[in-house]
Amino acid sequence: MGNSNQTTLKKTDFKSELLQVLRLNVQTYTILLALIGIWAIFFFTTDGTYLAPQNISNLFRQMSVTAFLAAGMVLVIVTGNIDLSVGKLAGFVSVVAAYLQATVWFKYLPDQPILSATLTVVISLGVGALFGALQGYIISYLNVPSFIVTLGGQWLLTGLILLVTQGKTIPANQPWFSDIAQGYVPITWGWIFGIVAIGFLFWNMFRSRQSKRKHGFELRSIYIDLLATGFLALVLLVYVYNVNSYKGIQNPVLLLALTAMIMIYLSNNTRFGRYSYAIGGNRDAARLSGISISGMVFKIFILMGFLSGVGGVVLASYVGYGTTAAGAGYELDAIASCILGGTSTLGGVGTIQGAMIGALIIASLSTGLQMMNVAPAWQYVLKAIVLVLAVLADVYFKRKG
Amino acid sequence: MDNDIILEFKNVTKRFPGVVALNDVSFKIQRGEIHGVCGENGAGKSTLMKILSGVYPHSTYEGSVIFNGEELKLGESAIQEAGDKGIAIVYQELTLVPTMSVGENVFLGREPVEYGSINWNQLYANTRGILEKYQLDVQPQMIVKNLGVGKMQMVEIAKALSEKAQVLILDEPTSALSETEIDKLMDILGILKNNGITCIYITHKLDELFRVTDKITVMRDGKEIITELTKNLTQEKLVKYMVGREMKERFPKATRSPSEVVFKVENLQALDPNETNRKVLNGVNFDVRKGEILGIAGLMGAGRTELVMTLFGEYGKIINGKILMGGQEIKPENARQAINAGLSLVPEDRKGMGLVLIQSILKNISLPNLDQFSGFFRIDADAELKASMAQSKSLTIKAPTLEVAVETLSGGNQQKVVISKWLLSKPKVLIMDDPTRGIDVGAKYEIYKLMNDLAESGVAIIMISSDLEEVLGMSDRIMVMCSGHSTATLPVTEATVERVMALATGMSS
Repeated sequence: MGNSNQTTLKKTDFKSELLQVLRLNVQTYTILLALIGIWAIFFFTTDGTYLAPQNISNLFRQMSVTAFLAAGMVLVIVTGNIDLSVGKLAGFVSVVAAYLQATVWFKYLPDQPILSATLTVVISLGVGALFGALQGYIISYLNVPSFIVTLGGQWLLTGLILLVTQGKTIPANQPWFSDIAQGYVPITWGWIFGIVAIGFLFWNMFRSRQSKRKHGFELRSIYIDLLATGFLALVLLVYVYNVNSYKGIQNPVLLLALTAMIMIYLSNNTRFGRYSYAIGGNRDAARLSGISISGMVFKIFILMGFLSGVGGVVLASYVGYGTTAAGAGYELDAIASCILGGTSTLGGVGTIQGAMIGALIIASLSTGLQMMNVAPAWQYVLKAIVLVLAVLADVYFKRKG
Repeated sequence: MDNDIILEFKNVTKRFPGVVALNDVSFKIQRGEIHGVCGENGAGKSTLMKILSGVYPHSTYEGSVIFNGEELKLGESAIQEAGDKGIAIVYQELTLVPTMSVGENVFLGREPVEYGSINWNQLYANTRGILEKYQLDVQPQMIVKNLGVGKMQMVEIAKALSEKAQVLILDEPTSALSETEIDKLMDILGILKNNGITCIYITHKLDELFRVTDKITVMRDGKEIITELTKNLTQEKLVKYMVGREMKERFPKATRSPSEVVFKVENLQALDPNETNRKVLNGVNFDVRKGEILGIAGLMGAGRTELVMTLFGEYGKIINGKILMGGQEIKPENARQAINAGLSLVPEDRKGMGLVLIQSILKNISLPNLDQFSGFFRIDADAELKASMAQSKSLTIKAPTLEVAVETLSGGNQQKVVISKWLLSKPKVLIMDDPTRGIDVGAKYEIYKLMNDLAESGVAIIMISSDLEEVLGMSDRIMVMCSGHSTATLPVTEATVERVMALATGMSS
């Protein structure tokens, strides 16, 4: 095994290897630095309250709906498509959920909070996936551009929301259902989840090193891996400590973490993920490699619809009612999250992790500016500047190589 | 009159990194003649015309071009300049805007303007004038995309002529035309000649040269071989001038013993997917044996790539004929079905169709083969890595790790990645469309060796190549195509460059 000899013989010093790894992931670090910078600025301008447990808790909950949408949007954009309907779809699902809760179950399943909440969730997710399937079918099999189909979808859903609500607000604050997004994970369980997650991170790191060694692949220094994993573990611990000193990890944040992990796994470790990136990277090469482009795009829009459904349930449960304005503009926040997180509008490139950080940046800006009592007009101006600057910086770094 | 020289090339040399595309080319063109330029693919014909039309400005080549007694010195916006001086070109690929009308296309960029707005009546009147003068049968108001390829070509010619052209260059204008359209074009060339326009006609179809040209220049390997009056030439002589070079030891020796037929194509006919009234394939017959290399020769536009893409289920609509794999008829409708039937295709356009350039070697190799490594859900990364590494090692892909993006690799290594990816799918029949295009000599040799090894291991290989030497050097048998049909299949022992060239040009033998 020529390659394994190379591995054992090759000894680069730790510092240069670290630099190499940093350079490799420069995009992720740029956006992380941007996040830290934004937090630092707000930390000082709010005399520290910005990073107080209650606010951190709010921040993560606030990002969650956008983040569910962004998690699906990454694959949509990676395959060279776009979905402009996700905000309104989440909104529509939220009013459907509210309608079921307040009207249908009230009438047919009185005093059955667990059963009715479960049914609401199942139906809501189904509605999301079904709408995604409808749009996906038109896009992939009837060859209508996704931009047009989902713009139409957005209008259609706006109409449907008005039909369901009749222009009124529907309450969705029933027990059990409101726990979905308003509840907290008990403190002890919070710690247990945190520690299990950290254990998983380290187990995964050693497992991947072992597999690389088995195949004689070049291993990077164990210290770098320990540093990277240790950093993640530390962030996790600080987060759990922070929110536990308020009320604990919020349910929607835990749900988001699970969703993000599944999506990361899906995009890296399954054919579904691989094919998505291949289609975005070179459609013709993917087709000639035997990949059904239509089939893949169809599935991705179903997944996108399903995740919009999840976002809709969380939205209804969190705000406690369904309104005519539900979800308006969320699609743009989701798209911006992906772009901030390094997803290329040209397709083929983008990560779930990046989009999650992107969503966090957008939520951080909104919360921070609100806390500073910045007028809404200037909030928009500042958000615009941050978005364009971030992408500009990315373009600049890429050109410099 | 005989000495009225409109255009003269004097010692023109054009170099690209690593290649001399034109080597000391000198010849003269008389005013008012139709001057044919012919040669094999890559002989330097197109490069020469690009110098003339300003694609390569004056400073990028050596030697000089004399036009109307003055040296042609094209500078920055050279293409525009060449047009202003009266040199117009009709390219092989059409350059029209399909959604615009004929008139708009003819005057694109030079619209007659009055007080800042386009004078449409003037534009269409001028267009009609040009069309009538040269007897081009097209209506000025028609939308270009509704025209057939033949009429589009006429619009292209009208567009070129509207610039007060003295010299009109036609670069392989008939490769996409039907027989009747070609006849019409030949007539138009005669009309142009009567109007005093000098034509330079680039083609490798010999019969067309003899039909219309007054004089022919033959090019080979970037050199001008001969310039002679057409009436003093014969098809045999021309072929000899086009190919006349010696075979060098470019190809590794192989001992193979092909066995039974695995793949067979009978009277295949298919329609152009973009233009469903045109047959791209019109009667293709061949078979290939286990452990054999079958070469497919033919000139540009003969339908070779269209054939293999159709076999792979990704191009033409089959209207007649059969495809048999191991004696059983298969009807691949897409690449997946073709792969499952045991076919693999190394496509002609390596970067555009063979690879996902931004992805790693590993991901490219495993892409069509992920089913091998996947259970219901998860890709077994260990198995994927192991198989890809084995491929990469046996093909000696030179890269630091399998994680590097293929866009950073050399052409030869990229091609090895494409081949690896298809070998991993364990094909019975491996189709290679111009496998050594744009690859340096050393890497070519490695790929030839690899092909020999594969054939010895029992794979049937179908190889398309534009390089005749390559076809003769590598194949056991050679199938020659011309205008969408197979003209003959020869054992390599009976094939000579002249014979293959004659079959490929549709020369009556």
